[in-house]
Formats: sequence, C-alpha cells, structure tokens
Amino acid sequence: MTTSKTGLNPPPAGILASTSRRMRNIRLALLGVGVLLLAWGAFVLFDSVRLTRIPGVALWIAAAIVLHDAILAPIVFAFGIALRRAGRRMTGTVIAIVQGAIVVGSIVSLIAVPTLVAKNFAPANPTVLPLNYGLNLAIFWLLLALVTVGLSAWAFLRWRSSAEAFPDDSGR
Amino acid sequence: MYETQRALASPVRNPRMATVIGRLLGAAFLICFGTGLYSHFLQEPLDWMRFPTRPEFLYQVTQGTHIITGIACFPLLLAKLYIVFPNLFAYPPVRGLVHFLERASIALFVGASLVQITMGLLNTFQWYPWPFPFRQVHFALGWALIGLLVIHIGVKLPVITRYWSKGSLDSEHPEDAASVDRASDAEAVRLWGSSRPGGVTGRVLDYIDATPRTLTNSVSRRGFLTTVGVATTAVVALTAGQTFTPLNAVNLFGPRKKGIGQQGVPVNRTSEQAKVADAALAAGWTLTVAVAGTERSFTRSELLALPQTEVQLPIACVEGWSQMAHWRGVRLRDLADLLSADPDTSFRLISLEERGSFSKTEMGREYVRDPLTLVALELNGETLDLEHGYPARMIAPGRPGVLQTKWLSRIEAI
Repeated sequence: MTTSKTGLNPPPAGILASTSRRMRNIRLALLGVGVLLLAWGAFVLFDSVRLTRIPGVALWIAAAIVLHDAILAPIVFAFGIALRRAGRRMTGTVIAIVQGAIVVGSIVSLIAVPTLVAKNFAPANPTVLPLNYGLNLAIFWLLLALVTVGLSAWAFLRWRSSAEAFPDDSGR
Repeated sequence: MYETQRALASPVRNPRMATVIGRLLGAAFLICFGTGLYSHFLQEPLDWMRFPTRPEFLYQVTQGTHIITGIACFPLLLAKLYIVFPNLFAYPPVRGLVHFLERASIALFVGASLVQITMGLLNTFQWYPWPFPFRQVHFALGWALIGLLVIHIGVKLPVITRYWSKGSLDSEHPEDAASVDRASDAEAVRLWGSSRPGGVTGRVLDYIDATPRTLTNSVSRRGFLTTVGVATTAVVALTAGQTFTPLNAVNLFGPRKKGIGQQGVPVNRTSEQAKVADAALAAGWTLTVAVAGTERSFTRSELLALPQTEVQLPIACVEGWSQMAHWRGVRLRDLADLLSADPDTSFRLISLEERGSFSKTEMGREYVRDPLTLVALELNGETLDLEHGYPARMIAPGRPGVLQTKWLSRIEAI
C-alpha cells in the first residue's frame, strides 16, 4: 500500500479524471468569488474607517495570530503531554473525561472572564453586566468538578471491573 | 518542523475531523454574516429596501441568533484551530507563490476570525479596548471573512469532498497518526541523516515519545467531539438567557438579565449619556409632527387625550439581549393621519439628544403604517421612565433598539 507524504492514499485515477475538470472549475469560481468579497471587505474598511486607524486593525489581527499560535496552542499542547504522562496508569476514558472537562471549563471561562474585567471599568449603566460573574464562574467550576469526578469514578469502576474480568486486555 | 508536526500528531488531527468541525464553523460564520447584514441594512437601508414587520419579534430572533452563534464560534473556532495546528509547521514553510498566498490567506482568516468574534463579544458589554471604531470594522471584517471563507473552501475543496461523508476516514485512513509518523520519519532521515535531531530538541522529543498514548483513536475522537459539543452547548446555554426566555434561569454569564432595569427593562443609552434630562423633564416639552409644510405640536397631555393603544412588543438590542414589554401610547399612523400624511410617507424621528449616531433616524412606511407602531407614553403600566425615553419614545415591531428613538422631539415626513 502506498502512502503519500500526508499519509493519505491517492484516490483511484479514474475518479480523478472524471471529476478533476469539474472540481477545478468549481474551485476557480470559489476563489474568484472569495477574492471579490475579500476585496469588497477591504474597500469597506478603507472607505469607512479613517486611514490612521487601519494600522490598529492590522495590529489586532497580527496579535490574535501570535496570541493563539505562539501562546495558547503551545500551552494546550504542553498540558496534553503532561496529562498523558500523569495518566499512565489510568484508563483512557477517564483521561478523556478530565481533559474534556478542563477544556469546557477553560472555554466557558474565556467567555466569562471578560465580563469580570469589564465590570471593573464601571459599566455604562447598572443594567449592563448586572450579575455577580465571579460567583457564577465559581459555581460553574464547582458543578463541573462534581460532574467530572462522578463521570470519572463511573468510568474508572467500569474499567477496573472489565480489567478484572479480562486481565490480558487490561481494559484498553 | 517534521518533528514538531509529528509530536503534534493526534487521532483527532485529521482531515475528516477538520471537515466535520469546519462545516459547523462555516455554517456559523454564514449565519452570523446573514443576520449581521440584516441588522446592518435595518439601520442603514438602501432606498429601495422594505422590511417585514411580522413576526414582531423578528429582530429579537435574528440578532439573538447573531450573538448566540457568535459565542458558539469560540469553541468551534478553537477546535478547528486545534485540529489543523500541525499545519503551522509545514515544511518547507513556503513552496512557491500559490502556496504562499494560501498560507497568507489562512493566516489572515485565522487572525481576522479571532478578532471578529472577540470584538463582537466585548461589544455586547460595551467594552471597547481597541483603537478603531467597532461598527465599521466589524462590518468590513464580516465581508472579508466571508470572502476568506469562500477562498478557503475553494482551496480545500478536494479534501472537503473526500472527507465529507462518515466513514471516509476509517475506510482509507485507519492509522492516520501512525502514517504521519512514518512519512515524517522518512523526511527526518533525509534531512538530518537520522530520524531525530540531537541536543535538547531531541531529548524533548524523546520525552514526548516516551509518553504513552493512552487513548485509542476512537476514544480520542469521540472524546474530542463530545468536548466540543459540551463546550458549545455550555457557552450558548449560559448566555442565551439574555434573549431566549426558557434559558433565563441559567443565564450565568450573559451581559444582560431579563427584568433587570427600570420598569423591568434593561437600558442601553442612559439619559445622562445622551444629556437629555433637562430637556426631557422641561414643562414646556412638546412633540412636533411635520408633514409637507404643516406642523403641529402636542403636549404630553394632548397625546394622552388621543386614542391610546396597548401593544406587547420586545425591545431587541443589537447587542443581542431582548426584553418583552407592555407599551401604551398613540399609534404613529393616527398622528400621521391627523396631519393627512400620504400613506406612502416615510418619517424621520428626531430625539432631544443632540449628539449620538441615532439621535436622528428614519422609519420606512411599512413601520409607519403598522398598527403596532406607537409613540409610547407608558411602559409596563407606568409612566415611561426617563431612562426609557420619557416623555415619549418610538416602539415598532421588528426593529433594533437603537431605532426605537427615545426622548422624541420631532417626527417629520420625508
């Protein structure tokens, strides 16, 4: 079996020949439309925003890329490795549950933490950000932890009983 | 670079998963774009545009959907970036002009998407930490992002069609992570003469390799999809209560809360921000209605003496919150008829507020003639609060809150 550099097997040549022409036309059409829309967006930007403000937009876009690619993603990666190391003697399902819970908590926090910060800047009026977001976030994490512990215990017990029943298979 | 890609290999980082999450994210972007465009044209209509006035909660739904979908984009976009992250380390980084353009368009796509959803989120609680105007940039980026999405689909179309259907991965790609490993091993040998660089990098990679892969591919994939699903459900469920009443009880992180505000209705622009308190509370306030050279001014008691109509209409804000309320006042249609305005007339609504982008707005004839469109004098059974536009404000079906002009001063035919 041949394996290309990306690890994918090439599709049979016959399918390629019959669809490649149509595929190429559709792709060219999409690229054309996309470039036009992008150009229109650029026009709208330059037309409606003062020129001196444009570098700020570019800076924010660049900063977003750096923030994600150079900071957020490596942290997630390192965290995954650490969890894998820590979880040597644990069933995969429990690791998946804990990993998932941490991700869910982090993403909800990502949405919630800006409300905490913005609330410190004295919102425009008392009906903007009226809730106690810090307390709500703590309650959320607590509930998430309880659910995670419960699910993990359930998965662990199931894994252990199946490991006892089939010792050779060790449950994975 | 291959080593980095290899270390990042994971059963969820495959083209099928990219297609699955990409479809959802693409749909979310299109929904945001469509609802955003609708909101934009409601506020800045082209001459020929007319809008539906029913259902009267239409804008509540479209703009609520805009914000809810935008919030759902956070987990979806991060998941998509997680899946394709190893591609960042493609080697050689640039293989030619076309490849450079492809990578540049993806970089712009990623950066602009992150900025777009972040500024959208922060705008919902009126926090503007960036050095540019929100509305214009959000609108321009919307067009650019749809363009970049279409370009991205064009570039990736062979991958998308190949991995569109379920089972496409398992049938032809059973050991995706392993085959990436083999391929990159071969490349590494070609590049370095061994499958592994020496020194610190090599030791870090050895450490990673010594780490057992505890998850089977299927647990990994199911776990990933479940996580994305739960995270998306969580961010939506815990914020959508600000517009979607059944979720009001679990509105933990929405920037607004139903029922919190003067007379049970949240406030966007205050009388203090608009600097209207003196003029609005002045004894001599009148509402002037002008049609084709004829003008007539009404005091508040004269307005109250006219036939009063009661309606249930939501205030639905561009920021995604909404609040159903009970309004009482004079039909705009009746006022227009008092001055014998032509039924085809659109009106300009002028607030006591002298500055502010919405101090003067226009209302198309479909809203003017609608029986639910009121010059409201009372809210939820009480005299309209100053923060809700005392002495008189507009309330019309299916329009954004910024166009429900508060502290009315003058209504004139266009």
